[in-house]
Amino acid sequence: MSSVAIAEHGDAESREFTAQPLGRIGVWWFLASEIMVFGGLIGSYILSRVAAGGWAAERAHVNTRIAIINTIVLVTSSFTIVKAHAAAEADNRGQARRFMLLTVILGCMFLCFKGYEYSIEIEHGFTPATSLFWSFYYTMTGLHGLHVLIGIIINLSLFLLAGGAAWPRIKHRVEYAGLYWHFVDVVWIFLFPLLYLA
Amino acid sequence: MQAVAEAHGHEHGDELSFWRKYVFSVDHKVIGKQYMSLALFMMLIGGLTAFLIRWQLAWPETPVPGFGWVPEPTMFDGVVPPEFYNALITMHGTIMVFFVAMPFLLGAFGNFLIPLMVGADDMAFPRLNMMSFWTIFTASMVLLSAFFVPAGAAAAGWTGYAPLSADPQYTGVTWGINLWLIALALEFASFLMGGVNFLTTAINMRAPGLTLMRLPLMVWTQVTAAVLFMLSVGPLVGGAVMLLLDRTIGTGFFRPDRGGDALLWQHLFWFFGHPEVYVVMLPGFGIILEIFPVFTRKPLFAYKAIIYSIIGTGILSFIVWAHHMFVSGIDPRLATPFSVTTILISVPFAIMVFSMVASFRGGAISYPTPMLFAVGTLATFVIGGVTGIFLGSAAVDIFLHGTYFVVAHFHYTLFPSVLFGGFAGVYFWFPKMFGRMMNETLGKIHFWITLVGFNCVFIPLFLAGAAGNMRRVYNPMQYDFLKHLSGIHQFATIATVVLLIGQVPFVINFFWSLFAGQPATDNPWRANTLEWATSSPPPHGNFEKVPTVYRDPYEYSLPGMTQDFLPQYAPAPAPRGV
Amino acid sequence: MSSATKPSVGYLTIWVWLIVLLGVGVALLAAPVSKTLAVTLIFTVASVKAFLVLRHYMHVRHQPLMIYVIIGVPVLLAIALTLVLIPDIAFR
Repeated sequence: MSSVAIAEHGDAESREFTAQPLGRIGVWWFLASEIMVFGGLIGSYILSRVAAGGWAAERAHVNTRIAIINTIVLVTSSFTIVKAHAAAEADNRGQARRFMLLTVILGCMFLCFKGYEYSIEIEHGFTPATSLFWSFYYTMTGLHGLHVLIGIIINLSLFLLAGGAAWPRIKHRVEYAGLYWHFVDVVWIFLFPLLYLA
Repeated sequence: MQAVAEAHGHEHGDELSFWRKYVFSVDHKVIGKQYMSLALFMMLIGGLTAFLIRWQLAWPETPVPGFGWVPEPTMFDGVVPPEFYNALITMHGTIMVFFVAMPFLLGAFGNFLIPLMVGADDMAFPRLNMMSFWTIFTASMVLLSAFFVPAGAAAAGWTGYAPLSADPQYTGVTWGINLWLIALALEFASFLMGGVNFLTTAINMRAPGLTLMRLPLMVWTQVTAAVLFMLSVGPLVGGAVMLLLDRTIGTGFFRPDRGGDALLWQHLFWFFGHPEVYVVMLPGFGIILEIFPVFTRKPLFAYKAIIYSIIGTGILSFIVWAHHMFVSGIDPRLATPFSVTTILISVPFAIMVFSMVASFRGGAISYPTPMLFAVGTLATFVIGGVTGIFLGSAAVDIFLHGTYFVVAHFHYTLFPSVLFGGFAGVYFWFPKMFGRMMNETLGKIHFWITLVGFNCVFIPLFLAGAAGNMRRVYNPMQYDFLKHLSGIHQFATIATVVLLIGQVPFVINFFWSLFAGQPATDNPWRANTLEWATSSPPPHGNFEKVPTVYRDPYEYSLPGMTQDFLPQYAPAPAPRGV
Repeated sequence: MSSATKPSVGYLTIWVWLIVLLGVGVALLAAPVSKTLAVTLIFTVASVKAFLVLRHYMHVRHQPLMIYVIIGVPVLLAIALTLVLIPDIAFR
């Protein structure tokens, strides 16, 4: 029996107890563990910042403007991916693919702007080793950026696969990719004020 | 869903290649066996490190027999130097907890049994399952490679406290600890993948009629363990990244000289570390909870209370972690609440233990090897649990922390769960996994040598610890006040050798039975749970038809019945009255 | 498969709200209020934004109780961890 057939039972099936598809439950459990990853980091940041007295001087050097643009980009990409989900639900392959592609593009824009922002900061001599604030800044945004990159790869893969014969088999996965992508967006919704505003 | 399951049972279309069938398999049963092989192999390595450690403690600075070939500076003509001693204790702990206990109890038994016990054809995400095994396989190779890199393997303890671990100049180890962190990160990723599978399968793929309150306790403990792991590992993942960056690119999260806080690492580590030990303990208990009703031929006493205790233990395990840190310099006001919660967590555990003991009353008890190991688990674990109370009281812990009392305590909890419990599981489910029975005589020899050997190693260590023998010290005999303990250490080391040799009957039994053991029937132990409803070993797809579940899992010796067990999947109505 | 999705107009409305709230958050920086109040409000705004994404984009409001528990427990746990660590890390 091919491994494809075994995987067949997977994402869309459910039994009488919860009437939820397997893939959805699986992704939510995964997100629960990711909440703990970022929660631990964010908690450590808050505590260290209080201990250090606020880091007002260091924080003056972050680039709030780029961060605002990035927030708009990411929030918009959440919009596009939920539209892709709606299109997939309606079995509208073309629309779903268009919105997935938009999401990928917006995700890449986010990373580009972030990379540009890093380059400015490094040029000014602010590296992860400069101070504890910058250590946290680079680690948190870096880990977030890594999650964005993984999301882009997932979304791109779905976009490409959806173009072929696999569409009926994988269209429900747009929702799961969306759940992950929204989570990455929500993390940024909290990172942004933490690092740039408050 | 039924149709899909039936289709699986009948699809013998394309025969899979050797690689797809045995190496890159997506079948949970094969993956479970792969985890078991990895765990048993790593157990060998872990046992080897234990032997070297114990030799050094008993006969300090003398050559270890048979190890003259190890090159300098790892060992010097067979003598363990202090640096390598630190690496040995670190790697022993890391290997045993992360690469033996978890793959053995969760990876092997969880993967093999959960789909069978809930009546599913496979795990919810078979390819993710395959990926989880190969991730931990990679992690194991990364970890073991640390023995061969310049400056040697990780040597900051399995707990990797900062700043010892954060600044390479303190341990002298460079690549070793970096590889250790990467191996741990991969291992965490592997079990996160596995956890998603376990939870989704147990929640969503249960057979019709299998309500949560009819789930076998093996599944309950595995599911609880998965939840504990999923929710506790996150902060440590962040912490591990932070530590790696401290070591490599100059950040200062845990380095006071760079503005960081070393205590933060301890908090992040133990927030995970404590639930982790319950992740190991619960599946071990799950195994023996399955075995007891089968060999007493009566239902488990207070089955529902045990479920609530499992859940209660899980919840409480999140709020006891600072009992590992009583003398680390934490705010003293934290000591009392954590002492209270720690002692509180003994309550659900006691409920489980008393229920297990009460389950024996009035039973028709027999003692084949699985039952011997199960009883051995219970008896030895109780010693571990009771000594934990001493350590949970902050005042007493001030004296006992960092001594061999702690070492003996956690070996009396981990060893019973992983080894006694794990072996009980192997002897019990070997027929289901491989279609053959194991040899009873070899099994009994294995049990008695393991039981006697284990106790002879670790009871003396309680005494050594209470006498003030501190942990992680290369040569306790350099201190005058500990010199009188040399006899104890030598006794423990001889017992270690006996214990290690005592595993040989198991190895022989395992491999011999694989090929020449007596063929097993579907249900050789006459048990009730769903895995016994299918052949031994189960076919691809597990069940011919999705089973229906009619009753609780431990209906043994019901009044008025002609046979002494009534399987969950058998449609005969349950007799009326109790 | 029964994930009830809102009509597209709903999604766009939420997007508009998210951008508006972003503006509010940024504006609070320059607002003539005390630092503490500004920070509290900024995080309230962030929480509302997160809530909107969860409820309307991730469709949590259509999910069974189990999903609420799967999200809620880790959030509470992460907050609890941070709180317990205050005496040790924030005020050494």
